[in-house]
Amino acid sequence: MTTRATLSPLTLLLRDWRGGELSMLLAALTLAVAVVVAISAFVSSLQNTLAQESLRFLAADQVVSSRQPLQTTWRQKAHELGLSSANVTTFSSMAMTDDDRMHLVSVKAVDSAYPLRGQLGVSLEAFGAIDPELAGPSPGEVYLAPRLFSLLEVAIGDRIWVGDKDLRVAGAIRAEPDATSGMFGYGPRLMMSHDDLLATGVVQPGSRVAYRLLLGGDSASLTDFNEWLEPRLVQGQRILGREDAQGRVGSTLDRAQGFLLLAGSLAVMLSAAAIALAARRFSERHTQAVAVMKSLGAQARQVSRLYGGSLMLLGVAAVVLGGLLGAALQVLFIAQFADEFGLLPGPIGWRPFIIGGVTALVCLGFFAWPPLRRLAAVSPLRVLRREQGVDTGYRPHELALAGLAMVLLMLWYSGDIVTTGALVLGLVVTVLMGVIAARQLLRIAKTAGSRAGSVWRFSLAGLARRRNESSLQMVIFALAMMLAISLVIIRTSLLAQWQAQLPPDTPNHFLLNIEADKTDVLAEFLRDNHIVSEPVFPMSRGRVMAVNDIELTDSDDNRQAGRQREANFTHAATLPEANQVIAGSWWSPDTTESLVSLEREFAESVSAGVGDRLRLQIGSESFTATVASIREADWQSMKPNFFVIFPEAVLAPFPKTFMTSFLLAESQQGVLTALVRQFPTVSIVELDIVLTEIQSIIARVSVAIEGVLAVIVMAGLLVLVAGIQASVDARLHEGALLRALGAKQRLLLGALWVEFAVLGGLAALLALVGAEVAAWGLQTQALDLEYNPSLWLWLPSIALGAAFIGTVGVWSCRHTVSVPPLRVLREI
Amino acid sequence: MIKAKNLQKHVAMGEVQLEILRGIDLEIKAGESAAIVGASGSGKSTLLGLLAGLDAASAGDVWIDGQPLSSLDEEARARLRADKVGFVFQSFQLLPALNALENVMLPLELAGQASAREQAERYLSAVGLSHRLDHYPNTLSGGEQQRVAIARAFAPQPTLLFADEPTGNLDTQTGEHVIDLLFELNRAEGTTLVLVTHDNRLAKRCQRVYEMDSGCLSLVRQ
Repeated sequence: MTTRATLSPLTLLLRDWRGGELSMLLAALTLAVAVVVAISAFVSSLQNTLAQESLRFLAADQVVSSRQPLQTTWRQKAHELGLSSANVTTFSSMAMTDDDRMHLVSVKAVDSAYPLRGQLGVSLEAFGAIDPELAGPSPGEVYLAPRLFSLLEVAIGDRIWVGDKDLRVAGAIRAEPDATSGMFGYGPRLMMSHDDLLATGVVQPGSRVAYRLLLGGDSASLTDFNEWLEPRLVQGQRILGREDAQGRVGSTLDRAQGFLLLAGSLAVMLSAAAIALAARRFSERHTQAVAVMKSLGAQARQVSRLYGGSLMLLGVAAVVLGGLLGAALQVLFIAQFADEFGLLPGPIGWRPFIIGGVTALVCLGFFAWPPLRRLAAVSPLRVLRREQGVDTGYRPHELALAGLAMVLLMLWYSGDIVTTGALVLGLVVTVLMGVIAARQLLRIAKTAGSRAGSVWRFSLAGLARRRNESSLQMVIFALAMMLAISLVIIRTSLLAQWQAQLPPDTPNHFLLNIEADKTDVLAEFLRDNHIVSEPVFPMSRGRVMAVNDIELTDSDDNRQAGRQREANFTHAATLPEANQVIAGSWWSPDTTESLVSLEREFAESVSAGVGDRLRLQIGSESFTATVASIREADWQSMKPNFFVIFPEAVLAPFPKTFMTSFLLAESQQGVLTALVRQFPTVSIVELDIVLTEIQSIIARVSVAIEGVLAVIVMAGLLVLVAGIQASVDARLHEGALLRALGAKQRLLLGALWVEFAVLGGLAALLALVGAEVAAWGLQTQALDLEYNPSLWLWLPSIALGAAFIGTVGVWSCRHTVSVPPLRVLREI
Repeated sequence: MIKAKNLQKHVAMGEVQLEILRGIDLEIKAGESAAIVGASGSGKSTLLGLLAGLDAASAGDVWIDGQPLSSLDEEARARLRADKVGFVFQSFQLLPALNALENVMLPLELAGQASAREQAERYLSAVGLSHRLDHYPNTLSGGEQQRVAIARAFAPQPTLLFADEPTGNLDTQTGEHVIDLLFELNRAEGTTLVLVTHDNRLAKRCQRVYEMDSGCLSLVRQ
């Protein structure tokens, strides 16, 4: 008959808590859960943000564009399906003042619901700060692009005419979510209420007008709407979705997300290693207790139930603690971004907590349980014969299962096979090298040590004597360091790339439509105003008509391949900055051949490759050119980029205008007004607000990344401490014996320091090789970054590894010299 | 009460079979006390392990209350130990994470006794430690630790008590005191006592004394 013990797992857990090994187990487990919950919650917020960010460029979830007036039934149908909607009508017209000053403007009539996504930024003076109180224009009012204020010589409160309607100037447009579409066309923006459109009398049958129906709502209703609408669309009407919008910070956030998921996977791996080490030590330290319990009549299944139960309780505690901590961390992360994106730390959803729970379960089941399970098999005979070996190691099949579980967990967590693969590769390299090299390194160290002083000789001989344990310990240290170092490497190149992408002197204003005879005067004007401008680029508006004599269609559908495409042509002698030739080759600077270089996506859209012959048209003139190269352009660089570039000789006969860009400080805004007065035909594109926004996002993402790195380094330190503790008992025992034999304190402490420092330094060396392999894989394959070996990291890492492991090692073994040897010998 | 017949223990050392016990016969009746003396390495502790069912014999058998141990698996032997057997060890074997009271409660809790605390307190006061209940082993002296161990051994009221060098780690005076306590409780509880010792004073107080020599046992005094 089995008696039911009154000793419960909870009692055991509470009593063991005082032993100290449990705190390491709980800390490692809690950290794993907290990091996983925080990062997956944060990443899902980030993904939401990314989606929102791209929709901002449509000002809606979806847009229907049309050359004809929109059918009223479309809005009715949208309303029936529960979708919100807004009408936007754009066209060119003249704006006139009472004293007959006039200017061509790009009119945008919007109704009160505009914009459905993103925000309209309006200021109360021409180049002023955005007033968050101001919404879309009310009936009877207009907002103007800042430069129109000087072109028309008007101020807020003045009246201007659009067609037959006079309107009051109520604000300056500083940020327009869906502005990008008209950037190079028409004149400066004038925004008015849709209610006033009819009264202007400008829009007549046959006018060149673009109508847009903005739609907002859930994707199911949008799909229903599209199914209803598509058969009703005629030529010149199409649906624009998320894929048509491009986020300005998309790739930055994408990479940040990749980095965070990677960091999360690392945290889980490191915590698993800490858990395994802590569980082994826990198990070793409980072997004798279990032998006593068994001699007192405890049965194997009772032992299993007790330790299994307390492990479960520990897991529950870690999930609750880690979950709370993770949710708190996520709130901190979100607070970093809240005002930029309007993110709210609202409901996180269950997924992060489920992932956290599964992580805890995997860590406990595959890493903590095997050594604890072994406790049930401890022989009660150990109470009489302590010299019996302790078996708390992992069987090969348990190691294989644990490894597999970890890989699957990382895959599920990061959703990325390349990230997981690169990490596993780095780990395998570290372990293989560790197994092979650790012994050799120890042998070399011993030989070197034999020529050194007594402390060195003594400790290095000790390391070599415990070759197996030392190698294992070195590999564990190396693994933890490798994971942390990989992350340092990746974080460094990620941040460096972001900073290089948008350095502080990035131009924030673009000048277009500069006439050829004005370029010198303009350059002088900028110089006089202490503005450093970028090179001047020539520009001609042209069209690709045919590829290898196959005519392209002039369909309106932008997504259709093999259609005619209009673009800004330029000429250049050398390959422009932020461009890379990916096929063919760049021409010699003085070539007179009729060649052309295409941007990759542009080339794909007209189905042209290197060697193909294009027929092009500028104005009414046609000419042919052969594709010499295909380029990849960095669109995030904020430098002028061109789809189509020719050698200078080819564009020479054609009329052209010029463009340039420059950085304007906040205090220099008045220069713009003077510039507009002196060069009324030049168009100014202001990107200062956008640029400040992007730079601020990058700064915040950087802070988040540094924070996550700190968490990972903490997890790494936890493993190092657990790894050191694993060997403390053996060293204490040896130290006590040596002290009993008369060894001096200084020799013992010195020898301990050297032992741990050598282990730490050698482990760092192994870790660096593994980390470089992992970083290479991650940077080139997963994060789309350039890889350069981080040699600058090597010396500091080795020194830091030696110092940290040496110091913590000596600290952990300090009892060797402070406690009477007999007590140490008895306790262990 | 406890009987061994032709008890043998062999251990393989590489290709060589080492005979540790060479066919031991022994019988100790209920309530009797017996000491096993002998030189270090003569096999005393091995014999104790087999008699207490902590280890399995290579040949021969042990009967406790007429039950042959060879017919029991480790789980059944554990139950038998829980029901009938108590231990006192040379190195006390108190669990360092448990205080004195919890150490004594442990076998009672493992056996599922509801009144574990009261019983443990009773036995601790019987060994004179009622004022040290919540002290941890590392704050107790060697003598005190051994008294806790004696309280732990008697608390589940075993019929058979094994003691392995119970005075081996104690100075002479403390040893005397612990021996007194052990025999006092033994008498009061009517327990059968089997102890392994080097200590002649201890051996003298037992009703029978066996001597172990190179794996063979002989009765030297009755």
